[in-house]
Order: sequence, then C-alpha cells, then structure tokens
Amino acid sequence: MPGSVLIVDDHPRFRATARRALECDGWTVVGEAQDGVAGLAEAQRLAPDLVLLDIGLPDISGLVVAQRLAAQSPAVAVVLVSTQDAGDFAELAAAHGAKGFLAKADLSGPALDGLLSR
Amino acid sequence: MPVGEHPPAAAAAADVDSGAYEALLQAITERLDWRLAAAWEPATADGGALACVACSTAAAPGLRDFAEVTRTTILRVGEGLPGRVFAGGEPAWLSDATTDDRLPRRAAAERAGLHAAVAFPVRSERGVVGVVELFADHPRAPDAELLVTLDLLGALLGQLAERRAAERASHAAQERYRATLQAALDCVVTMDADGRVVEFNPAAERTFGYTTGEAVGREMAELIVPPELRERHRRGLRRYLAEGRPRILDRRIEIEAQRADGQRFPVELTITRIDVGGTPLFTGHVRDISDRKRAEAELRASRARIVEAADEARRRIERDLHDGAQQQLVSLAVALRLAQRRLDEGDAATARELLDEVDASLTTALAELRELARGIHPAILTEGGLAPALNSLVRRSMVPAAVTAVPDERFPASVEAAAYFLIAEGLTNAARHADAARVEVAVRTDQDGACLVIEVGDDGAGGADAEGGGLRGLADRLAVLGGTLSVSSPPDGGTILRGEIPCAS
Repeated sequence: MPGSVLIVDDHPRFRATARRALECDGWTVVGEAQDGVAGLAEAQRLAPDLVLLDIGLPDISGLVVAQRLAAQSPAVAVVLVSTQDAGDFAELAAAHGAKGFLAKADLSGPALDGLLSR
Repeated sequence: MPVGEHPPAAAAAADVDSGAYEALLQAITERLDWRLAAAWEPATADGGALACVACSTAAAPGLRDFAEVTRTTILRVGEGLPGRVFAGGEPAWLSDATTDDRLPRRAAAERAGLHAAVAFPVRSERGVVGVVELFADHPRAPDAELLVTLDLLGALLGQLAERRAAERASHAAQERYRATLQAALDCVVTMDADGRVVEFNPAAERTFGYTTGEAVGREMAELIVPPELRERHRRGLRRYLAEGRPRILDRRIEIEAQRADGQRFPVELTITRIDVGGTPLFTGHVRDISDRKRAEAELRASRARIVEAADEARRRIERDLHDGAQQQLVSLAVALRLAQRRLDEGDAATARELLDEVDASLTTALAELRELARGIHPAILTEGGLAPALNSLVRRSMVPAAVTAVPDERFPASVEAAAYFLIAEGLTNAARHADAARVEVAVRTDQDGACLVIEVGDDGAGGADAEGGGLRGLADRLAVLGGTLSVSSPPDGGTILRGEIPCAS
C-alpha cells in the first residue's frame, strides 16, 4: 500500500526522477535529503512509512544510515537503492536492517510494493 | 771508440747506487795504490753498451781529464777493457794499457800518465751486472792474490746490487700503492688490531671531515662509527681476533657512518684483512652512497606516486561515470518504464511528455560520455596526432588559448599522450587556479629532432606549486619517458610550463 516516503540521495536528478515515479504510483513524497545526517534527521522529524535510501551517500554509507534508522525508528521501512545491481547488495541491505534493495533503474511503485509485501 | 753520448739516465738506472760506488772506488784508490777507479754498467735496456756510472780519482789535472773522458764514453760490450770483462765475465789485467792500440781510451790514458789497468766483473744472481776498472800510474805485473780479492769484491758488489734492486722495487711498489691510495675516489681507512687508524686517504679526509693527522692513531669506532654501533664494532673485532671467524670481512655491506660534524650518511663498506709482518691490519673501503640512496628513494616515491595517480584516475572515472552518465541512464530507465505504463493505461499525453524528457536526457548523457571518454584518452589524438588534438583541446578551453607550431609528424603514442595531458593540465590550471585571460601553447622538436619541447604560458596569477599533485604527477609522467618538466611561476604573475620529452622512436 502506497504511503509516505522520504528520499535520501545526493543526486538531484535521481531525487526528481524517484519523486515523479513514486508520485505517479500513488506515494506521497514527504521530504528529500541529500546526505546521511540530513536523512536521519528528516526521518525522525517526518516519520515516513518508507525511506528510500541511496547506498553511496557523500557523508556516511547508506548501510550505516539504514542500521541507525532501524535502531532509531523501527517502524520505518527502509529500502536501499544504488546504481549497482541487486546481486551485489541485497544480502548486505538485509543485514543492515533494511526491508530490501532495489537497483535504481528498476524503481517503480509496483517494484516497491513487491519488496514491502514480502 | 765511443759509440754515443753518455745518457744521463744511465747513472739513475744503476744497479748499485752511485754513492756506494763512489765510496768504494775512493777506498780502492786510496788504500790499494791505484790512481783511478771507474764503475761501468749497461747503458741501454738491451745491455749492449756500457757507460761509466761512477769514477774516483786523485786530484791531478791529467787524471781529471781522463776521468772526464771515461765518464762520457760509451763502450759496446766486448769493446775496451770494461767491455771485454763484461762480455767474458772474468777479471782482466793489463800490465801497461798504453801499449794496447785497441783500447779506445789509450791516448787519453797516456796523456794522464796511466799504465797498468785491471778490471773485474760485478756479479749477481742475474749474471754480470757491471764492471769495475782500476788504473795505476806505472806498469804493474798481474797480481794473482789481488785478482782473487777483486773477484770476491765483485761478488760482494753484486749482492749489494741485488739488495738495492729489491729495495728499489719495494719502494716503487710502495709509491704505487701510495699514489693509488691518494687518487682513490673511495675512502680507504686502515686500522690495526687495536682498532686504531693507521691510514686515512684524501677521499676519507674529504668524506669524514678529518685530516689524516687528526685521524691516524685514534680509535676508528670513535671517529667514524655512529655512537650506538661502536660497541658492536668493538665486540666484533675482539670476537674475530679471538675466534678467527669473520662475519663481515670480504663482503660488501651497507651501513651508516658519521662525519666529524656528527652528520650521518649511508655507506657501502668492504673490509679486508691484510697481514704485514704478522700483525693483522684491516682495511676498509668506504663509499658514500647518499646520492644513490636519495635517487633510489626518489625512484620509489615516484613509482608510488605513479601507481597512486593511476588509482586516483580510476576512482575519478568511476565517480564521473557514477555521478554523470549512470544517473542519467537510471533516470531514463525509470522514465521509460513509467511512460510504458502510462501508454498501457491509455494516458498518451503523459507518456509523450515523459518520452520528450527521455530524449533530452539521452542527448545530455551522450555528451557527458563523450567528454568523459575524451578525458580518458582523446580519440582524435589516437587517430590524428598532436596537431588536430591540440586544436580541438584549445577550442574547448575555458580560457582563450592559441596553439602555434605543432609538428605534423606522429610521435610514439606515449609521447603524444604526455604532451597532450601536459597542455590539458596547463589549460585547466590557467582557468581554475590562475584566473588567466590568455594561454599560449607552443610545441616543437629541438634542433636534432631528438626531443619534443612543449611550452604552455599563461598571463594569470602565478605562484603555482610545482610540487602540487597535478604538476608533480605530470613531472613523474614525463620522467617515465626520460623527460623533464620545469615550472616557472613567479608570485607576481604568469606561469610557464615547459616539458621536454625524448621523442626518437
């Protein structure tokens, strides 16, 4: 079920693309952040249903951010994204408390629904 | 008959030194009642002629004239009384020399009032090495007893000659050794079994900063071994002398030494044992290898920098790809999939809008990829060489730039690439750091065509750091090709990069 989402990614182009794709599929993008520290703060402030979190952030690794989010806001689902394909990161994402991993090129509402319904 | 002038070298080459001869001849003339005595030795290397090497006579004027004739006469072997004795190896006695017409100095002897003459060979292990002749002022019959005595005297003189020759050879060897020591570029330091310096050559003086006078007699360890190694050195010497098992003798080792002013430096050291008169001496040949060590360190550092620069370049390419084209393509993929779904849902207008965005994004992605590929290695350089590649580079420069006199010929790919990236770095620096308004680029080969010379000059702020990452990396790149980079960038403005790269393929 689509809900509210926070997008954490340092590339403005991807944030815009993700916002458009998710909004088209009924998600409400409640905020954007461009690094890990801002992402953690926004997650706490906005309490979204989902955080779409890039692995390659400029300040802290997205994996570390996912771990902290899991401790800080256990109710928030985290989906990690990267330009790499899923084979590289799916297991790592799970090990860091994330709900799942999506290759950025595969991002869509239905793909997210698939991950979250597991 | 004289066969030539008396060569001055003859006396110097004498087997018995002339001082010893003079004393002996004087004793003979004074004690044995002979008026004149002369010694003869081979005057030439082949021993074919004899010259007088010493002559002693009483002070009478006639005798002095005869002595002068004798001193300036050269006799062939077999000629005259000395020549005959030298050739035959036996003493000869003439009761009255003035009656023998075959004697070259007969007339002179007659004028001097000389009559009886006797000559005996000087014999050594090598055979006859000289002849001594005596003249009396009256006829005198052969004296068998005296002949025996003179023969014996000849043998003694021969021994003396041998000893003198050996001494001279030893002296010459010592002189050669000393000269070698003086001229040696390596330091030669010899110590005795107590560890005290007995020899310190000029190279050691220059290297260590002590004069030979200061060094000789002092303990070597205290003089040139760094403090923390001294005890080890002393123990090693004691152990070797007690047990006889060498650990560092006759091997080349690298170690630290210390100069008089306390400065420490790396040396290559070889110690050999020499035994003179049963006392062991130890000679160290020491070579200051500071320059070699510095060069090795610089080579290691430059290799590390080159590897690091290559890694950094790979990281940069990965970053550029990730941040640029990859993000573009991700967005394209997401947008395309969205457009598909909008079409499936019959929303053609949104699908169209999305496809227009995809088209624009593709153009941008392609341009970024092209720029990235050019940064890795420009295709125009590979295909067309320096001239078109530099024209293209200058056209795209952020600062107005002109390039002149680029040779049309092709150079080895590594040379072209080094020249290209030197100029690219110059243009980037002029725009990013120097705030320049104009850049001039010139490329030419030197006079004999062996070197490509590249100059990039800007009118910017100056003060560029030649040791900074970019320029250091360029210098390393040129150094790999045997080239050099010089940077002139005064703080009051303007920067000139000048690269020279050997380009003979």
